Amino acid sequence: MRHQANPWITSNLWLLSAAMLPAIILIGALLYFTGWAFTFSFTDLGLTGRKAIEWSWVGFDNYERLFTRRGGFVDSFWTTVIFVFFSAIVGQSLLGFLLASALRQTYGTLRTVVEVAIMLGWLLPDIVAAFLWSATTSQTGLINSLFIIPFGLKPINFINDFALPVVTIANIWKGTAWSYLLFVAALDSVPREVIEAAKIDGATRFQRMWMVVLPMIRPHIATNMLFITIWTFTYFPLIFAMTGGGPGKQTETLAVFLYNQAFGRGNLGFGAAISVAMLAIVGVLSLVYLRMLKEPK
Amino acid sequence: MERQGLSRPLAIALAFMAIIWVSPFAWLFGNAFDNAALGRLAFPSEPGVENFVEAVSGNAGRMFFNSLLIAAGTATLSAVVGICAAYPLSRLRMPGKNALLWTLVLLRMLPAAGVLVPIYFTAQRAGLLNQMGVILTLTVLNLPFTLLLLKNFFDTVPIELEEAAYVDGASLWQIVTHIVLPMSKAGIAVVWFFSFTGAWNEFLLPLIFSRVEAGFPMSVGLYAAFGRQGSIDYGFLTAFSIVYAAPAVAVYFLLRRNMNTGFAGVGVKG
Repeated sequence: MRHQANPWITSNLWLLSAAMLPAIILIGALLYFTGWAFTFSFTDLGLTGRKAIEWSWVGFDNYERLFTRRGGFVDSFWTTVIFVFFSAIVGQSLLGFLLASALRQTYGTLRTVVEVAIMLGWLLPDIVAAFLWSATTSQTGLINSLFIIPFGLKPINFINDFALPVVTIANIWKGTAWSYLLFVAALDSVPREVIEAAKIDGATRFQRMWMVVLPMIRPHIATNMLFITIWTFTYFPLIFAMTGGGPGKQTETLAVFLYNQAFGRGNLGFGAAISVAMLAIVGVLSLVYLRMLKEPK
Repeated sequence: MERQGLSRPLAIALAFMAIIWVSPFAWLFGNAFDNAALGRLAFPSEPGVENFVEAVSGNAGRMFFNSLLIAAGTATLSAVVGICAAYPLSRLRMPGKNALLWTLVLLRMLPAAGVLVPIYFTAQRAGLLNQMGVILTLTVLNLPFTLLLLKNFFDTVPIELEEAAYVDGASLWQIVTHIVLPMSKAGIAVVWFFSFTGAWNEFLLPLIFSRVEAGFPMSVGLYAAFGRQGSIDYGFLTAFSIVYAAPAVAVYFLLRRNMNTGFAGVGVKG
């Protein structure tokens, strides 16, 4: 991109290298920690007790356990897939896109009100959102007192009976703003002339969206998918604070499973194997999305 | 695009959605301003601000300052370290630097709980099981994103401006502080804001790092309080939640203009 060497850069190479040093050290620490996690996935290291000191190499035992244990990694994986699909891809991304395309026709009060409303969810700290949704869906909470009790029905303990849908909705409520903002920026980047031209050529509203706008903002869509899929995939505090993975294991996504195994039960070695497996899954997903990003328009 | 306004049903649907979106806050405020709150959805039976007084004094007040220290410390450290490294990264010709940055971002996708164990052991040995340790760890975890975003922003600063300044005899320091930084203000604001809210919200790390209650930030304090079995003091918890949520919301609305321009740069460039 930069064709010639710039003199103010080349004459200050040492200074610039020195400026990069803190970042290099911190990145080195990150690599070290990651390598450590990878190494210890082949051991039976424990958090406390004898295995915390006298750990031993166990080869691929931890990885075998991922696939052989019932009610373990595989079940957690499917819970996570459901959670990510409905809360991130269907919920946040689609809703964010619909809102962005509906609201860009207006600059009025309504737009401000909707934007502020969804931003409030996004800005709220995870633990507050967890507390708020636990309370909203509790037997004396908002949903029961407005929609269930007035009709003479027995209050429903949503967090117990519909745990996964409740955390999914809570996450949509919390996360839609990110997708919305990104899609607003994306739609603004589409030149008006292109849409006008398509309109003159007789394209319907739907055709303009599907065949003109969407292909043009595909890099934005891919970026958004990449970010929210991975965030949701490894998202921990909301579910942990609301349900702790329960009731039973109904909401035990991989991040919660990892925490429960590593810190709850103290199986650090097995926990490390879970995080390596999660990294592999995330890596494959990213490659898929990055391909979407790179393909010619 | 043509701004023909919204059709009526669409406008009503959007307004309805906004109401649903903010309705949990009704409960929150109803209880926070009720001195005799019972956790029900109702108008305050004894309106007052006693809960807020409780939520900012004593232990709760200390938690607020712990959170503030962690969030401002992390945001500032991340931005400074990030700027120092991102400008050379943007301007120097290095083969494969984009691939390197994306690899780092990918690496950072590792669930935080996965690297928590080695980080915990290292911090314990270095005597960093305190706020300083949390700040450093969060900076390490933020850095890949910070670098990628800032580098993309610095890439958009036209090199011709820097050339012109150089020809006029400006030093590297002057070029950076007078041209590059002012022109990427929006990007820096985004990075600072993300690090700030990220650290302010952070729950898992301080949960494991703060061994004594005096070191708890608000996230851990709130979790400890509502996770506790038995009688829940709804009045205190709702007020505490509002106090905890307020700074992140306030910082956003202060930086709002910058944020919206800044978001355009988040996308696309690899």
